[in-house]
Amino acid sequence: MKTRGLIFIATLLATPALAEDIDQRMDADPEGEVQISNIAGSVDVRGWSRNQVEVTGTLGDDVEELIFERDGDEILIKVKSPKRMFGRSDITSDLTIRVPEMSSLDIGTVSADIDVRGVQGELELQSVSGDISGEVFGEDAEFGTVSGEISARGNGDMIDSEFSSVSGDISVTEVSGELAAESVSGSIQITNGTFESLDLETVNGRIVVRGNLHDSGDVGAESVNGSINIDIQNAVGAHYDIESFNGRISSCFEAKPERTSKYAPGSRLEYTAGSGRARVSVETLNGSIKVCEKD
Amino acid sequence: MNDQDRIFDDAAKLAKEIRPERDLWPGIEAEISGRTQRKTYPMFAQAAAVVLLVAASSGITYFAVKGDGAATVAVQPNYVFDEAAFGESYSLGPGFTDARSGLASKLDAQLAKLPPEERATIEENLALVRGAIDEINAELSEDPDNAQLQSMLLKAYREELMLMRQIGNLTQNVTSRNDI
Repeated sequence: MKTRGLIFIATLLATPALAEDIDQRMDADPEGEVQISNIAGSVDVRGWSRNQVEVTGTLGDDVEELIFERDGDEILIKVKSPKRMFGRSDITSDLTIRVPEMSSLDIGTVSADIDVRGVQGELELQSVSGDISGEVFGEDAEFGTVSGEISARGNGDMIDSEFSSVSGDISVTEVSGELAAESVSGSIQITNGTFESLDLETVNGRIVVRGNLHDSGDVGAESVNGSINIDIQNAVGAHYDIESFNGRISSCFEAKPERTSKYAPGSRLEYTAGSGRARVSVETLNGSIKVCEKD
Repeated sequence: MNDQDRIFDDAAKLAKEIRPERDLWPGIEAEISGRTQRKTYPMFAQAAAVVLLVAASSGITYFAVKGDGAATVAVQPNYVFDEAAFGESYSLGPGFTDARSGLASKLDAQLAKLPPEERATIEENLALVRGAIDEINAELSEDPDNAQLQSMLLKAYREELMLMRQIGNLTQNVTSRNDI
């Protein structure tokens, strides 16, 4: 009997813990901040009309605990994992979190993907290698990742937004206002917004812009080796200053690019459409450049 | 107008092009025949470049490390960079080099917390930026008074510092909040 008891205890110790289902909720400030941390897995956040935060999903086998606590108008949701967890595959936690729709979010993950829908407060989303996708409207947004991809969709509201990656591609659509995006080797694609300012930089990544420019809007796009394609969809009347050291410049304007030096490669296109109040400045070392403004 | 804007404005005011004051053939002939002959540039362009570099070095360094103790970090010898070349004849100052070394040291400490594949991605992309710097520098050595290249090189050096700072901050934020 004693031996059987020991075997039973040994079996219990040898059996890995099972992934834990979670289903918790608490009252929340309707315009409070929700901070979320998770290393691996996923974080899906959805805005809803209740003044509550709800967390459902599963925690990885080796997760120590889910911290879910409130301090004033701030709520902290944190998947607490043991130290030195790299190389272990059982800390993957998939969270679905519902928050009051006017909440602000501050999310940080290592490899967990982040997806945010229907949340209208400020968004600060960061991941080392996870993909980040989200709807952005109402308030300012900042997405940053090293190798993950970034995808953002707005509703035309004028906001300040910043998107940065090192190697991941950045795709932004229907986000308007003041927008900045930068990547080293990832591409940047901006479509269907109306911009007061656009500030875009890559080293090797391609830049594509297709959208409207505010009357006094300002576009700056720079790349060392990436190509740049700027297609202004409204007849805003902008002054264009386009320059490349080795890349080809083309446009839908009557003006043609001119050599900048007799002794070196390099060409420049300056052209003013309409009032010229808006400004578009594009520069590459080797990347080709194409610009157009609707008549 | 901030420091960075002022630097780029200064760069833009430099001469777009300096016409060679002599027949280029002797130099080309010397290159072909293996003899080296140092290029000479008008004194004004050289003085302008020096003034620009002093301002640029300080400006870029300030811009990259403001609010960050990077410039005062004690740096191990393996993180000390050579002086940052600016074309053939100039380099950015020791302040810039110190800031760059300090940021590299801090970044390395953060990268040690990441999985190897992430470290590799970051190092590959830093190499891309440094490759771009080398590429622009090579062009600038051929055409040292080209204002566009001068401006692009300054931006590339700034990009390198900003990238190191950005990755370091992101990694520090994500790892500390996840207790890594």
